[in-house]
Amino acid sequence: MTVLKTSFRNFLAHKGRMALSAIAVLLSVAFVCGTLVFTDTMNATFDKLFASTASDVAVSPKKNDDAQETGKPQTLPASLQGRLAQVPGVAKVEPHATSQQITAATAKNKSISPTSGAPTVGTNWDESQKKSVEITSGHEPHGATEAVLDADTADKHGLTTGDKLRVIAAPGDFSVTIVGIATYRTTNPGAAVLYFDTPTAQTKLLGTAGEFSSYGLTAASGVSDEQLKKDVTAAVGTGYTVHTAAETKAENKKDVGSFLDVMKYALLGFAGIAVLVGIFLIVNTFSMLVAQRTREIGLMRAIGSSRKQVNRSVLVEALLLGVVGSVLGIGGGIALAVGLMELMGSMGMKLDTSELTVKTTTPVVGLAIGVVVTVLAAYLPARRAGKISPMAALRDAGNPADGKAGTVRAVIGLVLSAAGGAALVAAAQSDDASAGSGMLGLGVLLTLVGFVVVGPLLAGFVVRVISTVVLRVFGPVGRLAERNALRNPRRTGATASALMIGLALVAALSVVGSSMVASATEQLDKSVGADFIVQSENGPLSPAAVTAVKSARDVAHFSEYTIVHAKVTTPDGRTATQRLSAVSPTYADDVRAETVKGKLADAYAEDAMSVPEGFAEDHGIKIGDRLTVAMVDGRTAKLKVNAITSDDTSIDKGAMYTDIATAKRYLPADKMPLDAMVLAKAADGKAKEAAESLKAAVAEYPQVKVRDQADYKQLIKDQVGQLLNMIYGLLALAIIVAVLGVVNTLALSVVERTREIGLLRAIGLSRRQMRRMIRLESVVIALFGALLGLGLGMAWGVTAQQLLALQGLGVLDVPWPTITAVFAGSAVVGLLAALVPAFRAGRMNVLNAIATD
Amino acid sequence: MTTAVSIPRTGGSGGRTAAAARARQVLKAYGSGETRVVALDHVDVDIARGQFTAIMGPSGSGKSTLMHCLAGLDTVTSGQIFIDETEITGLKDKKLTQLRRDRIGFIFQAFNLLPTLNAIENITLPMDIAGRKPDKQWLDRVVETVGLAGRLKHRPNQLSGGQQQRVAVARALAARPEIIFGDEPTGNLDSRAGAEVLGFLRRSVDELGQTIVMVTHDAVAASYADRVLYLADGRIVDEMQHPTADMVLERMKNFDARGRVS
Repeated sequence: MTVLKTSFRNFLAHKGRMALSAIAVLLSVAFVCGTLVFTDTMNATFDKLFASTASDVAVSPKKNDDAQETGKPQTLPASLQGRLAQVPGVAKVEPHATSQQITAATAKNKSISPTSGAPTVGTNWDESQKKSVEITSGHEPHGATEAVLDADTADKHGLTTGDKLRVIAAPGDFSVTIVGIATYRTTNPGAAVLYFDTPTAQTKLLGTAGEFSSYGLTAASGVSDEQLKKDVTAAVGTGYTVHTAAETKAENKKDVGSFLDVMKYALLGFAGIAVLVGIFLIVNTFSMLVAQRTREIGLMRAIGSSRKQVNRSVLVEALLLGVVGSVLGIGGGIALAVGLMELMGSMGMKLDTSELTVKTTTPVVGLAIGVVVTVLAAYLPARRAGKISPMAALRDAGNPADGKAGTVRAVIGLVLSAAGGAALVAAAQSDDASAGSGMLGLGVLLTLVGFVVVGPLLAGFVVRVISTVVLRVFGPVGRLAERNALRNPRRTGATASALMIGLALVAALSVVGSSMVASATEQLDKSVGADFIVQSENGPLSPAAVTAVKSARDVAHFSEYTIVHAKVTTPDGRTATQRLSAVSPTYADDVRAETVKGKLADAYAEDAMSVPEGFAEDHGIKIGDRLTVAMVDGRTAKLKVNAITSDDTSIDKGAMYTDIATAKRYLPADKMPLDAMVLAKAADGKAKEAAESLKAAVAEYPQVKVRDQADYKQLIKDQVGQLLNMIYGLLALAIIVAVLGVVNTLALSVVERTREIGLLRAIGLSRRQMRRMIRLESVVIALFGALLGLGLGMAWGVTAQQLLALQGLGVLDVPWPTITAVFAGSAVVGLLAALVPAFRAGRMNVLNAIATD
Repeated sequence: MTTAVSIPRTGGSGGRTAAAARARQVLKAYGSGETRVVALDHVDVDIARGQFTAIMGPSGSGKSTLMHCLAGLDTVTSGQIFIDETEITGLKDKKLTQLRRDRIGFIFQAFNLLPTLNAIENITLPMDIAGRKPDKQWLDRVVETVGLAGRLKHRPNQLSGGQQQRVAVARALAARPEIIFGDEPTGNLDSRAGAEVLGFLRRSVDELGQTIVMVTHDAVAASYADRVLYLADGRIVDEMQHPTADMVLERMKNFDARGRVS
């Protein structure tokens, strides 16, 4: 009981000193709980949405992954409707004509498709739609020129009834007038939705008057979904996909659900890093509190407390800290989730905060993480507290003794770092991607742990070096700061290590990211001869768009590029479905794939093709062999292998080229897949004119983008940059926790050095000099952490690049501006971290500080 | 109650006025109303230049407060304090800090040295902070006087208590301040080490012309001084010139007889 009481009093007495540790626990727990609440809410939202749209039983075409991507949805015959209506237990059959591959443009040729990656859906308006939406203004669509638009999209683009839209669908473009606005009853997950009357949807979206994309069945009362599914399957055979409402829901949910899972685990991963960094902070806090309380603990021991009791009293304090931090963290997590939902809302995904889903496991997990981590982190300091001898009470405690970094630590740290370094070298030289990545992981882990262990020893050396360079300018104050940073290497090491972790990841990723950009750029320069790449933002190019592209002037040639699915039988007798790149022969100039045998141009001869090096080796294919190529939904061709391409590339790696004309000969026109892209080469000296002409040609197709090589490089750079920025943003959490650690160490040091500060002030150190001294100490710690982190991270990044060179990441590019900025930024962060501790040190009352007890 | 006898200063940094420090009607009170405690009750005192002055008195007599006020470490409620001709009451922190740095030396009872700096670095610290170059000759002489020549590269934790206090004395002397304040500088030392330190202080007054003010409750320590001031209840109640330990002890017994505990 007394133990609990002393712990409790200590905890309250040192509220301030515990505050930063509590914030670290709070942040980590909040991040974990926020992630859980957010993903749970998203899941619940989608469940509700899919439940509201799912029919009791749905009949749809059998999914065929091998089908050619013609851009037209697969359809069911109209006759099926009658047969389904005959099935006993079917109360109602609702035919659907839906396409998710449409684009709609406003009168100003602006796309209304969501930018979040959600689809633009066109469907027929019927009774079943009323389950999920209601028409809040205007009326239902009638006839070929009327459509209803969902309210969120209408809001976003300022569209109302009466406005015109041009719909670009696979069968062709058509214009409609918005006659109504439909508002979701449940949460709109962000898709743009257009409703047409049924005949319009059939003809304009599916391209065939009599057919539908699926049928929704309502079960008669007393008939279960499972029973109905069985009966329907019995009646219409196994040629169709028949799903109950539950199965439909699960099917719809599959993609979203796995995306949410990936997101959840990624976020939890970053939370984990923050937790790891928080551990350093908590260990430091308790170590310092125990050190400062040495005399007090000695007294407790002298008057009869057992080691165990002292030990326990520290752990109980940790427990209290963990509980307080976690409880606040859980609250913070919910707030964070709400914030995230608002953020999604601003990106077009309207989530209703009233749907906030907090599962009981969320607070349990949050509390468990917070408490376990805190208590574990406090365990070592608690043990050290237990070991304090009763004699400590009698000694003049003065300042805690300088923690000498031991030889054991040095040996272990160096061995771990060396082993990690060896693993990294092995990974860099590895020829085998999977073994190499294992080595890389091992190397990263070992060097990280090694650096953390050896950190206090490095502190001695590195801090001296940094001081020589940075602090000497500041004269005696700089020297005082240097000595302070050096006096307790273990503390400095732990504080800097926390910062090191986050910055190492930043450095590693920046090296990999910029190497990716540099490699892609080099590859583009080396092998791409085309001046322009024309692609659609959502899926393949519609035939109308391709026609429009080809109307551009000042172009030397256009190359179409499409993917044809075919079953390929090789001379070794094996058959597998392959994706053939069916391209215009001019493509050989646009993407100069290197061949190991034969000439690439010959691959575009009649009934000819090329195969990649690896494929040729695996199947024993030689130049001149004829492969049996059975086009899916088409006829079988015998194609002669005229070229074998090199695998040492990152553009079109593993592609099998054939002339698009060859593909067309063996495929019926309606089964010919749409072009994935069109490349264009400008006529000599007409690059500018060609670009303008191309852009003008596709002006009516807002989803179609024309990019020249520079644009394309920028696109790659932007995409990599965006990804990196997102990761940096998430790593910021770990870095913030580490900065809190620096603040914490400094704040506790200031308290610990009250007497010294008083002495310095008494003998004439001005407030300004005092503040500068604290700030410089902080800067040195931060720079030390940054140096370790950036060094370690760059080593990781370079290793990863060497390893990924196998996958085409051939160019190493160390982004020195980023690295330098991070290093300089660390100094700024150090200054900021010292703001409050320095202020307090400056304000410290000289008399209180020097008063002898 | 100004009873100080001013003795013209000889040596040192050259005198301007006879008194190195003066207090005029200094009142120091804590709290207000019923809880008001008067630590210094309109004290007038002159600290003679080139002299070793001891301030004695029972616990709570205000002797430490007087020293802190004279040294510019503490503020007064009313009254004036001068260091030489400079009035320090009312000075802003910045000026006051500069004054302490450039014109005053300190020796505390304990914790005089920065543990991160070695002996010589501690000794030159006030000058380093001020950005002044120490006078090499003078520094050598001070170091030699306090007998630390062989231990200048040692850290405080490698020095004995007596040695640490000697480093503190050297630091106070090295900057050639106008006045040195000692707050029980030998309070934590055994008698032999204490005697050494006091011996140095005495010699620095005799040989270097230094002005020293020391608070102590030890009669033997006070006997090294030229003059002893007695404080009780925040007032100077007595003083003694050229004291011996026995005389001081006798005087202190008087306090005890009146029911005061030292």
